[in-house]
Amino acid sequence: MLDAITGYLNSGTTPGEYGSIFWATIYILVITIGISLAVIAMNWLERKILAHMQIRLGPMRVGPHGLLQPFADALKLLIKEDIIPEEADKLVFWSAPVVVTMTAFTTFLVVPFGRTHAVTDMNIGVLFMLGISSLGVLGIIMAGWSSNSHYPLMGSLRSSAQMVSYEIAMGLAIVSAVLMTSLQTGTGTLSMIGIVEAQNAQQTWFIFKFFPLGFIAFGVFAIAMVAETNRAPFDLPEAESELVAGFHTEYSGFRWSLFFLAEYAAMLAVSSIAVTLWLGGWMRPFPNFLSGPAWETAFSFIPALALFVLAGMCLLGTVRMPKIPQMRVQTVGLGIFGTLLGLVGLVLLVPAVRERVQDIFWFVTKVAFFMYLYIWYRGTFPRYRFDQLMKVGWKVLLPIGLAVLIATAMVGLYPELAAAVVGVVQ
Amino acid sequence: MSLKPLLRKMFLVDLIKGLKVTFNYQAPSEAITEQYPLERPVIFERFRGQPRLSVNPDTGESLCIVCNLCALACPEQLIVVKGERNPVTRRKEPVAWTYDLSRCMFCGLCAEACSTDALELTQDYEMALYSREGMVLDQAALERGQEPTRYEK
Amino acid sequence: MSDFETDYRHAKPGQSGPGVTDYLDLDTKDETFLDATELVLNMGPQHPSTHGVLRVILKLDGEKVLGTECIIGYLHRGVEKIGEHRTYAMFNPYVDRMDYVASVSNGLGYCEAVEKLLSVEAPPRAQYLRVILTELCRISSHQVWLGTHALDIGALTPLFYCFRDREEILKIFEKYCGARLTTHAFRIGGCLYEAYDGFEQDCKKFCDAFLPKLDEYEELLTTNRIWVRRTKGVGILNPEDCIALGVTGPVLRASGVKWDLRKAQPYESYKDFDFEIPTGLNGDTYDRYLVRIEEMRQSVRIIRQAVDGLPTGPIIAKVPKVIKPPVGEVYHSIEAPKGELGYFIVSDGSTQPYRMRVRPPSFVNLQALDKMVRGLLVADVVAVIGTLDIVLGEVDR
Repeated sequence: MLDAITGYLNSGTTPGEYGSIFWATIYILVITIGISLAVIAMNWLERKILAHMQIRLGPMRVGPHGLLQPFADALKLLIKEDIIPEEADKLVFWSAPVVVTMTAFTTFLVVPFGRTHAVTDMNIGVLFMLGISSLGVLGIIMAGWSSNSHYPLMGSLRSSAQMVSYEIAMGLAIVSAVLMTSLQTGTGTLSMIGIVEAQNAQQTWFIFKFFPLGFIAFGVFAIAMVAETNRAPFDLPEAESELVAGFHTEYSGFRWSLFFLAEYAAMLAVSSIAVTLWLGGWMRPFPNFLSGPAWETAFSFIPALALFVLAGMCLLGTVRMPKIPQMRVQTVGLGIFGTLLGLVGLVLLVPAVRERVQDIFWFVTKVAFFMYLYIWYRGTFPRYRFDQLMKVGWKVLLPIGLAVLIATAMVGLYPELAAAVVGVVQ
Repeated sequence: MSLKPLLRKMFLVDLIKGLKVTFNYQAPSEAITEQYPLERPVIFERFRGQPRLSVNPDTGESLCIVCNLCALACPEQLIVVKGERNPVTRRKEPVAWTYDLSRCMFCGLCAEACSTDALELTQDYEMALYSREGMVLDQAALERGQEPTRYEK
Repeated sequence: MSDFETDYRHAKPGQSGPGVTDYLDLDTKDETFLDATELVLNMGPQHPSTHGVLRVILKLDGEKVLGTECIIGYLHRGVEKIGEHRTYAMFNPYVDRMDYVASVSNGLGYCEAVEKLLSVEAPPRAQYLRVILTELCRISSHQVWLGTHALDIGALTPLFYCFRDREEILKIFEKYCGARLTTHAFRIGGCLYEAYDGFEQDCKKFCDAFLPKLDEYEELLTTNRIWVRRTKGVGILNPEDCIALGVTGPVLRASGVKWDLRKAQPYESYKDFDFEIPTGLNGDTYDRYLVRIEEMRQSVRIIRQAVDGLPTGPIIAKVPKVIKPPVGEVYHSIEAPKGELGYFIVSDGSTQPYRMRVRPPSFVNLQALDKMVRGLLVADVVAVIGTLDIVLGEVDR
């Protein structure tokens, strides 16, 4: 038994490569729980960060600094009355949130959180992710149509047009990144792990490759992914000031929370594509300049350090809580939370854990950056109108994506041509 | 289109300017939320809130002389004052005073009309109640001042 | 590259075509088989961006608006009738509850109308105080407008910045007259309250602090490409239409008509102050936005001048305790933040008006909605409702 566990852990492969259904199940469970936790954390962070951008405090009452607010909300949604409108198409209405959630979670099958931290490594990994995540639009259309109501219908129509048209720009940007994997080795790959390893082999993140081509492709993807996940400033399908709540107007309670879960899971999924394709996936920063065992060790302490900093912030918050009887429970709670974070940080100092976890840490940090961007956009920008959104997709992003794709291919095929162009410009 | 606006458009200057504003406001010191029951708002002197009927602090008798000006001034006619003349002091004293807080819009016309500074609108603002019954204040309640109702589970 | 397309828009008056009718005809069935062109959408009264309880029935072709029908009255309280059953002084607090985001202006208009009926004039100090407070009120009203308008278009954050700065104005109101929203600040014949200690400093402090904040709002919106695209060319009203519909206020001025009652028929002490009337060129939502932003700047200018030149003296003219105006009628209008706010009062010589009529700017401006949104998209409808700056308390009264 122990041999089987250590045998797998030392094999340095994903469960898919190892051919073990047992380990795949374990990974899937861990990832499902992890994504759900991440959505909960994201819920809290979005409220707090958005609130602070809007000079508010956000949730402060349920738990210290509102830390338990997402759990309270989840509980409230679970015990709410389950309403299916009289005129709705019951079966489709019932299955729409399931479809949306399933697709959002299935994409994480191929996301490489580390060299060995993926359920499986498909040779068509990127295609698989794109394909599955675009199935999500099906669920949205089902929700909008089956509600038998005007606002959801309009929301779902907007959503389908939007997701379909932005997928093209997104696909073109992805193709230019995939092209880059083939440039020096000669064999390209669509495997998510393969793409990160290609970046490792070429000693650069693809965002800096052929500057500014990689950067522009990344920019196109970064805009398209916001539209793809229906977030501000492209949140037309659920534009609350126009369509009340868009495609999920008629949903409430647990079904609504499934849509919520799916939306955030989809955000995490597209952010992981962006991180994998352009930001070096699980690789730590500067593996080429700051190489060597000393730097390796130094960087492997950073996850634990980050947790210690968080724990320190919590404990500082505990000290600075107002000393009044009403806040005593919250103060104790925050103290316990800080201590827990510190303990997790201590666990991360164990060498075996340290080595394994730092891949995940860097990946999560990069994804978290994208999540912050999502919140930041939402706090700043107005919303596009439907025709303008289409215009941005078809008339701006699509041509740029095509041009970048062609330019990348040219530069990759004829490096001397690129050098000549740079020379002429200079 | 000249070059400068084009470059500004290409490098998303307009969007980045906005992003900068929201980013800078994230400091917790910028937050203006008042955590209400813990932090009390500052109420200024002229605030028109809970009505009070003043009594003479030395003798404890009401300052109200039942001139009925407040009841006449009130646009909602929610004040009812009845009084009788005290046979000893020859002074008119209120016997029944009602003030229907549920209809009051705190315009302050009654306090303006009062000829003896007996009726005033004070700085108390916690007037929410669990039922409508307590909204009609009698003389004792007006002189005592209403206690804020505490939250009950 | 133009910032907006005009090909699918035909917001021109009098245009006919399939589905475009001059009024919203909901009863006639379309004869065509499988009519997929029209959708009747009920927007409001519980819709998040109809600014209260406005109900708009939209006739849509896909997302394109073919016609609208406004249904109002959900907030009707019979303010005018109440006015006929109250004495002149008693009605004063009620007018605050019409346009509740600009209650000081409402009070000013009413008090001036009654003063005109009585042929009295407020003393200079009272006039200056009134100007300061109404201009503060104009800023606060425009801040509410800006916040909610931006919220309608999808920018969540300006709302909170606007309300933070509005708080300073409301604090001045509370210090001056004891209430933040329904102020009841003025009385017939002048002001009841003398300026409190530090009133001038508070106003100046607000003016100094507010201008940088205004630049900040502009940084978030004015040049933002999404904001520009959402507002430029949306809801165009040309000057002729404006005048024909009786539209007033910033909506009229954005169409290029330089009509501001503060200059055209100076009331109070507005002739003493040096300020400009901003006007727009295109009469679209973006121009209305710019006009209102500039109006806030001009209001700050007026407040600064008024605070500096605040005269001394009495604050209320000699007005009898029981107001019994002579028999007659009067119409008096002022420039409220939303447009021309007029009061028509008929006196029969008793203590109560015989007839009271309010000309609310929001109600009149709302009539332009149909003209503005025909041929636009659903998303533009909320933008146009926002830019008209209606307050349903005033529309329904």
